[in-house]
Amino acid sequence: MPDRNFFLSPKASKARLREAEQARNERWDIIKAHSHGQVSRRDLIKMGLFTSAGLLIPMSGLSPFARSAFASSNIPTGLPPSPLGTATAFSQPMPRFDIFPRIPVSALTPAPTAQANTTQQPVDPALGGGTGPIEGRPPGPIWAHQQFGLLPPAIAVDASVEGAKTNTTYNPGVAPNMNSGINPATPIPPKFHPNLPSQQVDKFWTYNGSIPPKLMQVRYGEPVLFRLHNKLSVFQNQNGGFGIHTISTHEHNGHHGAENDGFTGAFFFPNQFYDYHYPIVLAGRNTINTTASDPMASGPTDAGGLNKVPGDWHETMSTHWFHDHMFSFTAQNVYKGIAGMFNIYSGLDRGAEDIIDGVNLRLPSGRASVTGKSWGNLDYDVNLMLADKAWDRDGQIAMDIFEFDGFLGDVMTVNLAYKPFFEVERRKYRFRILNASVSRFFKIALSDGSPMIQIANDGNLFPHPVVLTQLDEQGIAERYDIVIDFSRYSVGQTVWMVNLAEHQDGRRVSKDLSLSEALAGNSDDPCVGKFLQFRIVRDPAQPDISQVPSTMIPNPDLSNIPVARERVFEFNSGANQTTNDPITTFFGPWGIKTDNQGATLAADYGRISAAPKFGTREVWTLRNGGGGWDHPIHIHFEECQTLSRDGSASKVPAWERGRKDVWRLKPSGELKITLQFRDFGGMFMEHCHNTMHEDNAMLLRWEIDGAGTPFLNPLPTPIAKPQGVTFMAPDDILPTAF
Amino acid sequence: MNTQLNLKTWQRLFGPSFVTLLIGVLAVLVLGGPSVQAQTTTASDAPVDSSITLVVKGSVTDPNGTITVSGNVIITCKRVIDTTSVTSPSLVLLDFDFSQVKGTSGTKTLKTYVTGDNHATEIRPLQASDTIIIPTPYYDSGKDALSARTMLVSANLNFDIASGKLTSGSLSVGNNVVTSSAVGTVSTAPIQ
Repeated sequence: MPDRNFFLSPKASKARLREAEQARNERWDIIKAHSHGQVSRRDLIKMGLFTSAGLLIPMSGLSPFARSAFASSNIPTGLPPSPLGTATAFSQPMPRFDIFPRIPVSALTPAPTAQANTTQQPVDPALGGGTGPIEGRPPGPIWAHQQFGLLPPAIAVDASVEGAKTNTTYNPGVAPNMNSGINPATPIPPKFHPNLPSQQVDKFWTYNGSIPPKLMQVRYGEPVLFRLHNKLSVFQNQNGGFGIHTISTHEHNGHHGAENDGFTGAFFFPNQFYDYHYPIVLAGRNTINTTASDPMASGPTDAGGLNKVPGDWHETMSTHWFHDHMFSFTAQNVYKGIAGMFNIYSGLDRGAEDIIDGVNLRLPSGRASVTGKSWGNLDYDVNLMLADKAWDRDGQIAMDIFEFDGFLGDVMTVNLAYKPFFEVERRKYRFRILNASVSRFFKIALSDGSPMIQIANDGNLFPHPVVLTQLDEQGIAERYDIVIDFSRYSVGQTVWMVNLAEHQDGRRVSKDLSLSEALAGNSDDPCVGKFLQFRIVRDPAQPDISQVPSTMIPNPDLSNIPVARERVFEFNSGANQTTNDPITTFFGPWGIKTDNQGATLAADYGRISAAPKFGTREVWTLRNGGGGWDHPIHIHFEECQTLSRDGSASKVPAWERGRKDVWRLKPSGELKITLQFRDFGGMFMEHCHNTMHEDNAMLLRWEIDGAGTPFLNPLPTPIAKPQGVTFMAPDDILPTAF
Repeated sequence: MNTQLNLKTWQRLFGPSFVTLLIGVLAVLVLGGPSVQAQTTTASDAPVDSSITLVVKGSVTDPNGTITVSGNVIITCKRVIDTTSVTSPSLVLLDFDFSQVKGTSGTKTLKTYVTGDNHATEIRPLQASDTIIIPTPYYDSGKDALSARTMLVSANLNFDIASGKLTSGSLSVGNNVVTSSAVGTVSTAPIQ
């Protein structure tokens, strides 16, 4: 029996559930007061109300994790379970993502500009009054869109972040019979299930304020201008008790200039917008295939042909996502719903399985000849966003922001729907699976143990597909693209996706269960077991001509590129805070030690921890400082190759031998990766994507040195304010950074 | 640290009953509350690696007939200690390398079955013995991975609790048993 569980069983005694509810309410008062700025986290920790590890002192009545007065000493404790009412598993259809409309750039008012638009507007008194710029992007040449003239936006997406509202414009991109019968004309209220309450406007924040989550479809050779409006309340206390109304969106993991990367300190305020310029280019565009002569390096045209682009086709990417990256509030804001997915289409990965031209890999997607769409068909190409959630007794989404070890929900959602079903035909489907949880790892299998073909990891198609009956653990932010062939089933049958990874808390997986163990229903973790039902409803109207080629995208050849530098990053608890800027620093139990020197440091985005030279390649070691946690580490900007795990290249499994941007270090684990710094300049980040760790404060800034005009050396740190972004010199530069 | 001022602030924020609890908390702290859970690894906490090679033999039956399965499975084990918790058990990180496992069927036309580059990874609490059932894909070497089916490999593993090393074990192979809870039939009307 585990010593502690995150959630009590619904079968616990009424007295224990009542006791846990009371403890949660006490804790909630603290969380709310902190969230509304009435008391700082630093104060709470200093006073000893919380330990720096985030645990409320374990006294009964103060903490839901305290030993119960109603139980013997060995009975585990936990949060009261989220009430489900009459909502039952697998009774609602899973909605496809809601596709962002693509509009002409000329439809944007005001027109986008290379440098931030500093036209002044009145600032609400709640934000300090006076006037401030309409765009929250830092002003001036350093934060101007890089290569804006060379790669002008061809299309635009005009979107917002706002509180929950009913969706009346749902566009799944497929006919209702490909979307489990959902009629897109029927308004969709912000509910996790039809039998659960609507989420309140202050509790649930999403892109455009609605569900299903949003999908952006883009293609190589077609730069995008993503204008994001902050439509959240100017009043910070209108946040439902957690989350912050300042935002920054990271396109994970775009090869873009830093001004479009969603840098954690480049956040913006309610009533402002931020123009993100996504050029959608292949890495290496300035040195490889510069004349754009290679048809393998291409994007799809509307006519079914290829638009050749510069760069290395081995760097082609497919499945991204975008999410909030607000400094020290990423976990809260993403958990509140600020996350979407981002499919990139290329000549290789066309989204049209019937186009045969020697370049198209013809992965499961749909037929251009049927839909009339030469790219981006979604009939058999399905985005899945997995996230564990929890709600309070009123059914409103709830979070404990002081669980610094990691926060777990007790309810599984797929595309923000509680344990849905999805109708499929007897043929191959591609699923783009995103782990959008705060701290939970998944390990996915089909309920009957049938094989799945993994084709991509973190948006990078493998050199060769990998056949698996259970996927490897999937850390937060990792994307696994898989193909499931439903032709092995009969019409009328059902099969489920099953989670095998059992958590006791947010630190790491406590145990990988076998399929039979997970299906037995004996786990104390409510998110173990079946979470998505597939209903095999019919034979396909046309034969399945999609393919999973034995060779997809070989890795870029780095053998002739010298390693300019090696660096070491160790991820630990017990961080020191050596800087105190009130805006750029954050105190927390987590931190990163760089190059084996000095202390483990808490996050400060005013500190430069590494500054690789533009145009070089480096080797980085990522080390977990102990066995108590796992950390999924994300490096922004360019995809990397994994050289070794625990000192051995042979310990890198087949599914990690392609390119990646998130690595599970594993307890006491270490790995070496290699990466390049090219095409763009600016400041980027590296952090744990257990976002409770990231926010408290396992994050560092690195920047590219020598990227040319207008970049300075070092770069000044942006300080965001509603009245305008200012800059200050870095408050710390580690001795080994440059 | 201005404790008095903060207590007044909290009383205003949370009310007197909460502050009564808070005073209790502070008392616990003074008398010795839990400390910061810093994570430090000493020599005795260091990961322990071990590895064994086990032979698997058996057969599975599928629409292609009976397939005789044999080969070596390399199992590597890494014991890690959770230095942050005295109650959490040590963990073993297991990797099963099935890449040397092959199968054959038929007499006139010999078909060879492979498991590709298949590995399975498992995190398990360290215990003296553990049984893990691993679904493992296999497919005709003349076809592609899309034709893969599943066999079940059952691993009985023995560990030295003191050293954290994987010491011995055995493997068996059999058919994938699909129960009614694993593949069902559509029986409920959707709620929309």
